[in-house]
Amino acid sequence: MPATKYDVLIIGSGASGATAARQLTKKGIKCLMLDAGPAFDYEKDRVLRPVYDLPYRGFGKPGRFPHVTQANEFTAALWADEKQNPYSYPANDPYYWVRIRRIGGKTLVWGRASWRLSDYEFKAKDHDGFGDNWPLSYADLAPYYDQAEPLLRVSGRKEGWPQLPDGIFLPDESSDSQATGRFIASAKKRGIPTTKQRRAQGTLASSANLILPDALATGNLTIVANAVVRELTVDKKTGLVDGANFVDSHSKRELHAKARIVVVGASCLESTRILLNSGVANSSGVLGHYLFDQFYVKNTVQAIVPEARGGRPAAGMVGGTGYIPRFTNLKGKNKDYIRGYAVDFGSGGTPDPKYFPAYGEELQKAIANHTGAGFNATTMGSVLPRFENHAAIDKRTVDAWGIASLNIQAKYTDNEFKMAKDAMSTLAELCEESGFELLEKHDKMVPPGESIHELGTCRMGDNPKTSVLNQWNQSHDVKNLFVVDGSSFVTGGSQNPTLTITALAMRASDYMAEEMRKGNL
Amino acid sequence: MKRRGFVGALAALPTVAAQDFPKLEFAVPDFGADPNPKFFSKPHLAALKRLGDLILPAINGTPGAIEARAPEFLDFLLGESPADRQKLYRDGLEALNAQSRRKFAKAFADLDATEADQVLAPMHKPWTYADPVDPLAAFLRAAKADVLTATANSREWISVVSQRNRNASGTAIYWKPVE
Repeated sequence: MPATKYDVLIIGSGASGATAARQLTKKGIKCLMLDAGPAFDYEKDRVLRPVYDLPYRGFGKPGRFPHVTQANEFTAALWADEKQNPYSYPANDPYYWVRIRRIGGKTLVWGRASWRLSDYEFKAKDHDGFGDNWPLSYADLAPYYDQAEPLLRVSGRKEGWPQLPDGIFLPDESSDSQATGRFIASAKKRGIPTTKQRRAQGTLASSANLILPDALATGNLTIVANAVVRELTVDKKTGLVDGANFVDSHSKRELHAKARIVVVGASCLESTRILLNSGVANSSGVLGHYLFDQFYVKNTVQAIVPEARGGRPAAGMVGGTGYIPRFTNLKGKNKDYIRGYAVDFGSGGTPDPKYFPAYGEELQKAIANHTGAGFNATTMGSVLPRFENHAAIDKRTVDAWGIASLNIQAKYTDNEFKMAKDAMSTLAELCEESGFELLEKHDKMVPPGESIHELGTCRMGDNPKTSVLNQWNQSHDVKNLFVVDGSSFVTGGSQNPTLTITALAMRASDYMAEEMRKGNL
Repeated sequence: MKRRGFVGALAALPTVAAQDFPKLEFAVPDFGADPNPKFFSKPHLAALKRLGDLILPAINGTPGAIEARAPEFLDFLLGESPADRQKLYRDGLEALNAQSRRKFAKAFADLDATEADQVLAPMHKPWTYADPVDPLAAFLRAAKADVLTATANSREWISVVSQRNRNASGTAIYWKPVE
């Protein structure tokens, strides 16, 4: 019996692929989903273990994840192993490509920060002249943000700011501690806005528990795990894609899945890798180019709340977190860089022992004295999309299934460096004005990729000569091919991208379903 | 055994309900055995033990690095580590002993606390994001973090500290490998 030919083949089960599956299957469209990772049982495959019970006492196997700083010995099974999944980069410019291969993708461990983009991003070129606008505006995506926030159970506080549009939030009525309140007041004096975090709630907030179950409940979704896609296949008569060749990751058996439409949502760089290996959708020559992310300066400032010293801060003295949205260059250019950065801040933690220049009993006393007395802030900055930052197929580097991997080249430039420096000095001054004692400040960014917010390389645009996708995440070249993840971004701002990826996948899927209904696809 | 015979033998076994299967207790290796150090030379391991005792001594009934056998654990960890990390430790321990001999004509392991403090002067400098250029300072930065972690993640440390602080159980969600 020949295999079923599905209406839509979806590659990837993370935020974008799962969202596409949910939207399409609810409209009665039969979907087949391929994911490179295994399925798992959330109850049985996760257990409580003491750290001393682990072979490496929590350090993890040395050298196993040289580019995944987020990995630890408890989560090691989640992250893509670089020996099985290698890639390359210039010797002096390492790129940190962080991947998860498991049903649910990176939504199994994402930070859950859920911010909308605004027309400061969608129409960035109109605002500051750099790069390109998106082929859609905030108003086009707003109805889908309205659906995505309840789906992901996002909490937050409405503020009415144009650079960070409000949404449909679970209310956040939490109060601020004295220390956090003081920082907020210092920021306000300078005209710097602050708000509560906007974050997906729940024990687990992944596509595996929030999105895929709805799709499966329709009876219209088939998920195949351990399916590593080699390439898309093309009908030579029509030039349209008609499915994908994939490898069963365990048996290495080669298979082919057929569908009328192919949706790629394998994560930014994996999707682009699949397209490049397939030799499709690149008449523009920009596939793989305009790679960017958000730069991170982790713990830009680490400070002490003086009155919290002693080891047992009084109730309400410290605690709580907040967020500074972009506040620079909103009305004309007022910095020596364009665009801007956001900041996560919080008080009540204990500074890392490295900050105390001591050892032995003196160190232990310092730690005890500063327990819960810390304040820190991390900067997340907008990175300009540049043609020269790109990923290309590296035929010499192949994965465990013989599939060519990527060579990734990305560098930050002056605009990002100046922004990081400004963030450092601004945050240090705010700490001082709040009465905090600064332990350390710095503007050293993590390497490109480490924020796991990689974007671009398969960008949207109105012009097929300078972009890969149209405003519906649909290939300019191959009309039955859609790419629905972060690779479609034109700019990214300083906001975490997952909420926007989800909204874009919803919008693209609704369009796709309507075109199918009309007989155009 | 032929399949039919094997199936028949299985059928003859008394059935055991899952709840009747006895829960067996197992110990982690460190609990029932002593490690055999193999990465560091004897002089280097002796220096690391002395350093570990200085970085995190036993204080008021809380085990220190020695009780947690952190140096022996680091011997194992470094033996598995990339070459640049191994070099950092070997060069650092060599520098520690060289400075000790130059200043006090004895190995670091034999220094008293006052003497050792002079060799450990880089540990009194405020931490910065810039990586130290001096190999000894770079090593001491790494060793401080590793000794503290290896001790705080040991059964010895956690069994004592968790009695005083419920949040110090050292327990977290472990994701099992999935086939």
